[in-house]
Amino acid sequence: MSGGVPAVVCAAVCPSPPLLAPELTGHGDVLPGLRAACAAAVARLLAADPDVVVVAGAGSATATWDPDGRLDLSAYAPALSAGGKPGLPLALGLGAMLLDAAGYAGPRVLQAVGEQAPAAECLGLGASLRGLAPRVGLLAMGDGSARRSTAAPGHLDPRAGPFDASVERALRDGDMAALASLEPGLARDLLATGRAAWQVLAGAMSAPRAPIGQVLYADAPLGVGYLVAVLGPPER
Amino acid sequence: MTGATGPREPEPLVLHDRSFPPGRLLVMAIVNRTPDSFYRPGLTWDEGAALERVHQVVAEGADILDVGGVPAKPGEEVTALEEMRRVVPFIAAVRAAYPDLVISVDTWRHEVGRAACEAGADLLNDTWGGWDPELTEVAAEFGAGLVCSHAGGLPPRTRPFRVSYPDVMADVLDRVLGLADRALRAGVRPTGIVIDPAHDFGKNSWHSLEITRRLGELTATGWPVLMSASRKDFVGEALGAAVDDRLPGTLAVTAVAAWLGARIFRAHDVTQTRQALDMVAVVRGDLGPARTVRGLA
Repeated sequence: MSGGVPAVVCAAVCPSPPLLAPELTGHGDVLPGLRAACAAAVARLLAADPDVVVVAGAGSATATWDPDGRLDLSAYAPALSAGGKPGLPLALGLGAMLLDAAGYAGPRVLQAVGEQAPAAECLGLGASLRGLAPRVGLLAMGDGSARRSTAAPGHLDPRAGPFDASVERALRDGDMAALASLEPGLARDLLATGRAAWQVLAGAMSAPRAPIGQVLYADAPLGVGYLVAVLGPPER
Repeated sequence: MTGATGPREPEPLVLHDRSFPPGRLLVMAIVNRTPDSFYRPGLTWDEGAALERVHQVVAEGADILDVGGVPAKPGEEVTALEEMRRVVPFIAAVRAAYPDLVISVDTWRHEVGRAACEAGADLLNDTWGGWDPELTEVAAEFGAGLVCSHAGGLPPRTRPFRVSYPDVMADVLDRVLGLADRALRAGVRPTGIVIDPAHDFGKNSWHSLEITRRLGELTATGWPVLMSASRKDFVGEALGAAVDDRLPGTLAVTAVAAWLGARIFRAHDVTQTRQALDMVAVVRGDLGPARTVRGLA
């Protein structure tokens, strides 16, 4: 769309496992494919030249956080320094880390969405983001099910694979209605903490036309579904 | 206080122009050029086998090689000439193969120490506690490091017979600090001086356990402490374990000593010792873990 109508010009979707932070994982390069995909998605988001980047991710309640906040690594590894900046919820902290790693120093809004917020609230929050600036970039931080295998943190739930596959399909097809209809109860059962953030994404991107999506990573190497995707408005 | 007796700030240990900071835990691999040492006797008696062993321990992560030509236990006499024949050409061969490796020679004799330094040795491991005072002058002359040990005043190659101490740790401190002081006065590089309580040397197992428990008193002096406990009798007597079954006990002692601040660990089992020390370093926070994903996925 053109004509100065406020819009989300690009969205990146990344998961939010603590292991994305290199400081937490030791000498070895942990899941380099996932990390590279996240970096690529954020690079694509920033290439769309947004006026502001909104990081949306699950928190205990819906709230905006101090844009100077960062991930408090010491919460996960007590030997590491807290870094001296306000500690953010995990998803927002990792989103901020990805923006920092990409060298982004422009305006950012750190938007927590209540992990248990109903779908309508998430969609409404997403829609409200469109008015923040002429060109809004969205970084939606959310994870699939933590019950993808017997070795998964939540052990195996046979519904987990199909659930994550439905999200992957929705992202690839730009099917925001499918994301909007994800059921909070099922997501909670499956330990899929990304549901609320994905529905914020759906609220932000569903109008005026369905976006074009590209999935950069979809796997569950440690039993948690990780999805990395980029969504942009259709051509013209 | 002056000289070696007062506490000092821990400093890097410098051997063969390499600097090892206080937090770094070093493995000193044992290569015996003897037919009759107590653990796996004759294993590296053959020169080819000994060089093979050097390749192996270097690959396993050894920082220092300790070459010995005379077993600690009593036995057939090994003359200075014979000891030199056993260790000096070998040290020269190792130096040629590994220009950067730190090489130690386990000897109490100054003639052997001198020939070893000429062949490329960097550290004189005087396990018998300064029996031959001229060894100190050799260290000073060559800029080599020197291990100052406590052997309870026993002559080389003798076993403790009803030894007793009013306070074994006090005796150890007195002896090793006295030797360190003498070394300083003789011109030995301060960054090359190491102290060693010498477990089992002039000690019964109770004594060795005591100095292990109180090793912190030794490390508090600031001098780098060498721990030489590998498969020794005090480990065997503590656990009722034969020589071949003393690795777990050795590693436990290694971990305790590392935690209490020892910096060099003389070992038969390099891979396992390296791993135990790395684990201690990671727990202490001196070394990052290899790969951490548990609970972080």
